Amino acid sequence: MSWRNPQLRRDPAKGPVHPHLPVGRRRWWPRLRAHGGNTWRRMRYPLTRRHVLWTRGEYNPRNLAAEVRILDKRPLWWMAGLAFLAIAPLLTDDGTILSAASIFAIYAAINLVWMLVIGTAGITSLATLAIVGAGAYGGAYLSITYDWPWWSMLPVGGAIGLVFGVIVALPAIRLEGFYYALLTLGLAELCRVYVVQSRVFGSATGGMYGAATHIPDDLSDTGQLRFAYYAAFALMLCALALYRWVDGQRLGRLLRAAPEKNEAFAEAVGIDYRRARIQVFIISSVALGVIGGFYASHFKGASPSLFSMDSLLLMLAMIVIGGIGKAEGAVVGTLIVVAIDKVFIDLGALRLILIGAVMLVSVLTTRAGLFGIQAQFRAWREKKKSERRARRQEKGGEVVPEEATEIADKQAIYHRRFDKQMRDFLKTLVTDEVVEEHRLKPLGQHSEALSRLTNYFRRGPMADKYAVFTIVPMREYRVVALSGQRGVPPRLVNDRTYHSLGDAYHAVFLLRINDLLES
Amino acid sequence: MAKIKLFGYCDRMSVKAGDTLRFMLSADGTDTAQFQLVRLIHGDQHPDGPGFMEVEVDAPLNRQWPVRKQYAQIGSYLEVPDPDGRLAPEGDFTVHAFIWPATPKSGRQVIAGRWSVTDVAGWALGIDTNGFLEFWMGDGTRVDAVRSEMPLLAQSWYFVAASFHAASGRVTLYQESVLNRYNSLLSKIVPLEYRSHVTESVRVRPGRPTAPFLVAGATEHNARRGRFVSQLYNGKVDRFGVQGRCLSRAELDAIRDGGEPPADGLIARWDTTAGYTDRGIGNTVVDTGPHGLHAEGVNRPVRAQTGWNWTGREDCFRLAPAQYGGVEFHDDAIEDCCWEPVCDYTIPDALKSGCYAVRIRAGEPGREAEDHIPFFVRAARPSAPIALLMPTASYLAYANEHLAFDAPIAQAIVSHTPVLSESDVEMYRNREFGLSTYDHHADGAGVCYTSYRRPIVNMRPKYRLAAMGFPWQFPADLSIVAWLEHLGYDYEILTDEDLHRDGVAALAPYRMVINGTHAEYYSEPMLDATEDYLAQGGRLLYLSGNGYYWVIGFPEDKPWLMEVRKLDSGSRAWQARPGEHYLQTTGEKSGLWRHRGRAPQKLVGTGFASEGMDESQPFRRMPDSHHKAVSWIFEGVEGDIIGDFGLALGGAAGVEIDRYDLSLGTPPHTRILASSEGHSDNYPKVSEEILYNFPGMGGTQDFQIRADMTYFTTQSHGAVFSASSIAWASALPCKGFDNNVSRVMKNVVDAFLKPGPLPGSEFIAEEKHWR
Repeated sequence: MSWRNPQLRRDPAKGPVHPHLPVGRRRWWPRLRAHGGNTWRRMRYPLTRRHVLWTRGEYNPRNLAAEVRILDKRPLWWMAGLAFLAIAPLLTDDGTILSAASIFAIYAAINLVWMLVIGTAGITSLATLAIVGAGAYGGAYLSITYDWPWWSMLPVGGAIGLVFGVIVALPAIRLEGFYYALLTLGLAELCRVYVVQSRVFGSATGGMYGAATHIPDDLSDTGQLRFAYYAAFALMLCALALYRWVDGQRLGRLLRAAPEKNEAFAEAVGIDYRRARIQVFIISSVALGVIGGFYASHFKGASPSLFSMDSLLLMLAMIVIGGIGKAEGAVVGTLIVVAIDKVFIDLGALRLILIGAVMLVSVLTTRAGLFGIQAQFRAWREKKKSERRARRQEKGGEVVPEEATEIADKQAIYHRRFDKQMRDFLKTLVTDEVVEEHRLKPLGQHSEALSRLTNYFRRGPMADKYAVFTIVPMREYRVVALSGQRGVPPRLVNDRTYHSLGDAYHAVFLLRINDLLES
Repeated sequence: MAKIKLFGYCDRMSVKAGDTLRFMLSADGTDTAQFQLVRLIHGDQHPDGPGFMEVEVDAPLNRQWPVRKQYAQIGSYLEVPDPDGRLAPEGDFTVHAFIWPATPKSGRQVIAGRWSVTDVAGWALGIDTNGFLEFWMGDGTRVDAVRSEMPLLAQSWYFVAASFHAASGRVTLYQESVLNRYNSLLSKIVPLEYRSHVTESVRVRPGRPTAPFLVAGATEHNARRGRFVSQLYNGKVDRFGVQGRCLSRAELDAIRDGGEPPADGLIARWDTTAGYTDRGIGNTVVDTGPHGLHAEGVNRPVRAQTGWNWTGREDCFRLAPAQYGGVEFHDDAIEDCCWEPVCDYTIPDALKSGCYAVRIRAGEPGREAEDHIPFFVRAARPSAPIALLMPTASYLAYANEHLAFDAPIAQAIVSHTPVLSESDVEMYRNREFGLSTYDHHADGAGVCYTSYRRPIVNMRPKYRLAAMGFPWQFPADLSIVAWLEHLGYDYEILTDEDLHRDGVAALAPYRMVINGTHAEYYSEPMLDATEDYLAQGGRLLYLSGNGYYWVIGFPEDKPWLMEVRKLDSGSRAWQARPGEHYLQTTGEKSGLWRHRGRAPQKLVGTGFASEGMDESQPFRRMPDSHHKAVSWIFEGVEGDIIGDFGLALGGAAGVEIDRYDLSLGTPPHTRILASSEGHSDNYPKVSEEILYNFPGMGGTQDFQIRADMTYFTTQSHGAVFSASSIAWASALPCKGFDNNVSRVMKNVVDAFLKPGPLPGSEFIAEEKHWR
């Protein structure tokens, strides 16, 4: 074989196998710059240790500029969204839209509280509307019968919610998901059948009407509608605050660490998930009861439709479309469904089909609702990127330009190229004679071909580098691979035992030759 | 049943009659272990030799002892004793320091503070898990923190501070770069914004923390271990302090620019450059403030390091102490395991000088776990003519080396696949066993301190060095012991520790001294003593390769601790950073003795030429060996080939080999008796010999790759015989000690034992040949 420099074996006329893609992107969105020598007066939300925005300063690896990245932009979106909801009713006089807006805010409040159970705690409870309805009926009944003022309906609803909370919390710690959903569904149905048949609760009139209300009579119709909306909006804000308070604190973390089917693991790491679940059921049930009281005050009464299956399914649609486990999902999902349901009321039954279609599309195409789309899109892009890259790249071969952008130590890019050419060359040196030469004399002066091979093997990185392990000195050896990580012991490579050090050395050599030829 | 593991050490290396030794042991899987005192004769189990040999010795400690698992603190830090709680101010305060973080992203690290991890209480200025400067505090249940805006960059000097305003709970962080042309990894041309100033109100008040004030660590508690220190910092800290009020931006700027902190409200000001002497730096960091709250180093923080204001002109702390305020911390440094002793042993008068060990066993007979804790007994009153000098300083240098596991080039250097044993794996698993001067700390810095107050798995009989697959140092040196025993010579043991402490007085009583297989690390007193001994007519058998190589130092009060700095040349596992070439312990320049004007050739005729661990070769006699002045050395030796056998790779010349060189100070009347040949290309020329690098420096192409067996005489009937090869001693036990290497040794030893003129010393006339 005539000698050629292993690094100069490529054909100069031949370019890369795949043409290189141009890389490099312009940034269209400006990023905040660090404060540098100026003092940064960092703000927090009142009474918490939380910062207004979660940011992190970082050096842009491309030009080393000190940039501040907002790690969570959701507070900004919330701020914009809530501001819109605050001024939106001033922009229209349309009674349909304004009353729909109030319904949206109340339903959003219910969904936010429900999300604590179905999202944070991960338990499929369908008793939500039953609790709201019970609160509403209780409040309305007391208001109508004993002439209690509107505001008394809120604590009454809360008290009824508390009772319901205890009732639904106890089975929740024993029953598995599907059975629990059935149980709660049954509870809701029971309530509906009860109020439909009970004379006290207006079986004759199809509901209880005439309760006290917080909406002042002396306003114009539009004014009343706007007032009602702002009251409902305030309720929604309270529900949002409750959601943040539970979900963002210790209780929320405990619950998220112990979702359904993971209870045993959570218990093993010391989480008392039963206690946490009872707590969240009681908190959310009281809140739902209060919302029920508000509902009765808002609608001046209560109707059995609160307990009906179609209301429940509508709410489930809201949550599924928005995405389970996210406050923004609850609110935006509610907005979409309420908009279709109430604003397109002229479409009649068709709008229900439309809601079903939206829900179907959402379930079929997204993994976690509307607000999971971003993460889903990014994962999909990652997948496509890897697929395309794998197609353009040779295993262990030259780094392609888009991959080079991800390697901080640029010398590693050259090393890959060098190593690839080296291995291609070394493969040509592997012959039966070379292997036999090593077998006869694993240590000492070797032929040119063999020493090039052994020099390459010996200089390799530590991770997965082979070594010999002594079982019995002078008699029994095995082959191991080193971890390359301090504190992590080597692993056995196979189950073969060698009876002399020479055999063990040669076994390592054969493994290395094998790895080389396979690379 | 859990697998039994035993690892121990003793508190002293060298003892004599009347001294008391304490034995420390940590045991897994058993609560008792059998102790037995043994005298070690031979340590290599190679089938071509006599195998492992030990002799049991009666001693009161020979019995079952209760043992348990013990833990050790790793990581260096400073602790400030503060009995009056002055460093726990009730009101406002500021803490500030110059820092050079080595690995800002290696987990939470405390720079300075009183932080209790277990109690979540106190406060600390440190680095968070993402590499940002952070000041955090806890009240026992809740933690609050203020973080800087830009992350800290590795190996860059900063001045950082945090001030706490108690009334408003306002914390102000200060982070400014003090980078100059010399002191940091990057230059000022790199467009980086290092600065960050953040002010923020926190909701937690630290109260008066009870955790001790630490630099580079936090206090933690565990039911099994008790108190220990965690959240250790990697990197350097320079002058730091605590002020009893909030320092303004302008006041901090003044400190950043090199000013002293204002006297108003000063609680403590640690001047890391105070107390330096021409002869080294101690372990105490001096507080020049009003209360004198001096900080004590634990696990030997490295000092004499360049500080934030190093200007690159002066290269030693002795020249510009104010520029050498750097104190370097490593989270895996260890000086002393500090285990509770299991038992102690007072050396009786009757115990013969020798290599001893306490053999510890536990478990079922036949499958028991075993450890040997070696120590050396020297003679209280020397009486034997031969001293065997055990190169314990070099044992320390290699103690628990991780080459086979951690050094990617190690296999290329030794041209071997490593051969690991169970104790290697155990050592690799336990960070508590520490590192050798051949390793890097986890933060990338070379290890410059090593200690024997920890289990040293490679200083054990039977042990074979993982990287090379044969015994190294102590177990190899036992082949000389076995040879002396087999031939019935009367010898006593000395160690480097004795030589360093007692100087020439340690050697003087002996007619001859035999040095071990690898006497590589030498302090100045050790080298002086050897030189003086030879000048006074002492006789030396130099059986090492690569001896008298590195300059080392021992702290005066800590003989178990050794320091070395590996400089810009020599076969070095790491290289000291610019400006950090001088020993903290003595103030001397470290590196190679050759580069301080004392090449080994000046002392023993030969010095480091090459190393290779694939094959050893025999010596072949050189023409000069036939001169009557030296031919007696080969009496009874047939043929020219000496040592074509051996337990270290099958030859007497190999592993590490030395050669004669007049230009490096080999005494001019030295004769080369025999030289090795045929070394492979895995024996390259050593780096200190290379000016320009060019191809062809391996054993098959370069004539300087060889071991030279040399001999020369000194005044007053002194002489030096140099075998110049590590493999020499491992050839002695072959063929039942009856071989030509053994014969050559015997001829030399017998001649050296006789006082008065040496054989052949009369053949000094010039040659007049007719033939």
